[in-house]
Amino acid sequence: MSGTEYPKEILESLEDYNIDIRDFMPGHGKGAKLLLNFNKISGLEQVDGVILKGREIENGIVADIIIMEGTKIEEPVHLCFGVNKETGVQEIFPRIIAEDNTEVTVQAHCSFPKANGLIHKMFGHFYIGKNCNFTYSETHYHGENSGAFVAPVAYMYVGENSVFENNFNLTRGTPGKVKIMIDIYAMKNSVIKSNIRAFGKSKKDSVRIRDSVFLEGENARSIIKMKAAARDGGEVLMYGITEGNAPNCNGHVECNEIVLGKGSICRARPFIRAIDPTSSVSHEASLGRFPQKWLDELLAKGLTEEEATQVLIEAMLQEE
Amino acid sequence: MKDLTIPTIDQKCVIVNKVSFKVKEGSIHAVIGPNGSGKSTLAYAIMGLENYKPSEGKIYFDGIDITNMNITERAKLGITLAWQEPARIDGLSIPKYISLGVKDKINLKDRIIEALKIVNLDPERYMNRTIDESLSGGERKRVELAAVIAMRPRLIILDEPDSGLDFIVIEDFLNIFGKIKELNMTILLITHREDIGMVADHGTLIWRGDALLTDEFPKVMLRYCAKAGLKEFCKRKLFNGEGACFDEDYIDRIFREEQGL
Repeated sequence: MSGTEYPKEILESLEDYNIDIRDFMPGHGKGAKLLLNFNKISGLEQVDGVILKGREIENGIVADIIIMEGTKIEEPVHLCFGVNKETGVQEIFPRIIAEDNTEVTVQAHCSFPKANGLIHKMFGHFYIGKNCNFTYSETHYHGENSGAFVAPVAYMYVGENSVFENNFNLTRGTPGKVKIMIDIYAMKNSVIKSNIRAFGKSKKDSVRIRDSVFLEGENARSIIKMKAAARDGGEVLMYGITEGNAPNCNGHVECNEIVLGKGSICRARPFIRAIDPTSSVSHEASLGRFPQKWLDELLAKGLTEEEATQVLIEAMLQEE
Repeated sequence: MKDLTIPTIDQKCVIVNKVSFKVKEGSIHAVIGPNGSGKSTLAYAIMGLENYKPSEGKIYFDGIDITNMNITERAKLGITLAWQEPARIDGLSIPKYISLGVKDKINLKDRIIEALKIVNLDPERYMNRTIDESLSGGERKRVELAAVIAMRPRLIILDEPDSGLDFIVIEDFLNIFGKIKELNMTILLITHREDIGMVADHGTLIWRGDALLTDEFPKVMLRYCAKAGLKEFCKRKLFNGEGACFDEDYIDRIFREEQGL
């Protein structure tokens, strides 16, 4: 399948993120790929060391993505879940397994440029083995109508001595109604980095994200960074949860949210718990507006307050 | 500015009291005085910051009364300020930051690279970095200078550019001020250090909120020393030996005058 057979609207929808999905189409790039066009698999390409299987079901797919033991690949595995319709239901049931001693990045692009009553659900299981270096990045675009309902749930197990980075970005377009739940279980000596960014732009936008890390193994470490902005009546609620349940584990939750315009709401609910006396868990949160000094510095360069605020929001929500 | 008076936010005290002086286009004009004399307050008032509005007096720029203009309007006229402790903002790249005030976006990259070179930052090392905590104090100040140079403003207010810097960096900064002047930009230099001020063509001495003297900088500095009773310092560090501006008798006379003798 050539890239041009995939809906043009989806291919072009992530340009604001500086992502060109065409770079990941079958026939382009070297990585493994799985493309879903609404409820149909429209592209599947495997590479050595990566097994990709997908089976269509009534409203979507069940998929297995397996990184075989010892596989270290530079090209990311690409998953594209697009819907170029206003309404409908898309359900994804992925099972992602990274066997021991693997190094891989999985990039998922979820784009619904015409969403106006569209439902996208995901129920994912991740198993990361021992001594892995695994990055999972999910970038969303839900169109400009605040018309999507998106509800991903993911359970993630991270094995001993592994580094797991989770990135979620929903900063372009309008989110609509979004409910995300992520549970990450960290084993001995593992390192978890979770970065969540979201931007609610109208009173029809409601984003609720619960990102939980359970430090279950000795010396496990984690940091959750949640950054959000809400404007013109948008609402963002972020739960950052970390439990230190093992000796010498160390976790931190950081939440920064900016509120712009009347009726907008940002809420942060960090929940931290330590049940081992040698563990350490902390949190910090800031909500409200940008410091006036930051704004003044940009105004002194000739920007209006609105332009300065936009620059600061983009900086805050920038991928690291 | 003419008879500029700036009160505290609660309006109970006066920080700057009926200050008047002119800054000559294309010059470096130092505002010097001890800590707490009102120098930075003056800088913020000229830039138009919200909490530094004058209760009396006027600020003119190129003959236009800008007293009631906001920061953005003043910046668009060609006034900008390089901050004493510029903010560090995660995610804001150095090239993006430098480009913010550039009106003409044609050849933007060249303009950014040129500005970085003027402040002695290697573009190859800094084009991919952000203005976050990873920059040292000196690096962040250089990026701030690069951002204002790229704007090509007509007046740059430099608020205590030397604070927190070691003497080697300060020497380098003095050279950068010279380069800025060569680009026909006027500098209003806020400082309390004599070695920084010596690059200035003219100066104004601010003392407890009052502007005591506006003149050639050496004369202003001499008066500052006399006011502070620093005769030996004055003779030893400023006006002795090669390049001395005044003979010893003249210095003695100024000190006697200041003491009312």
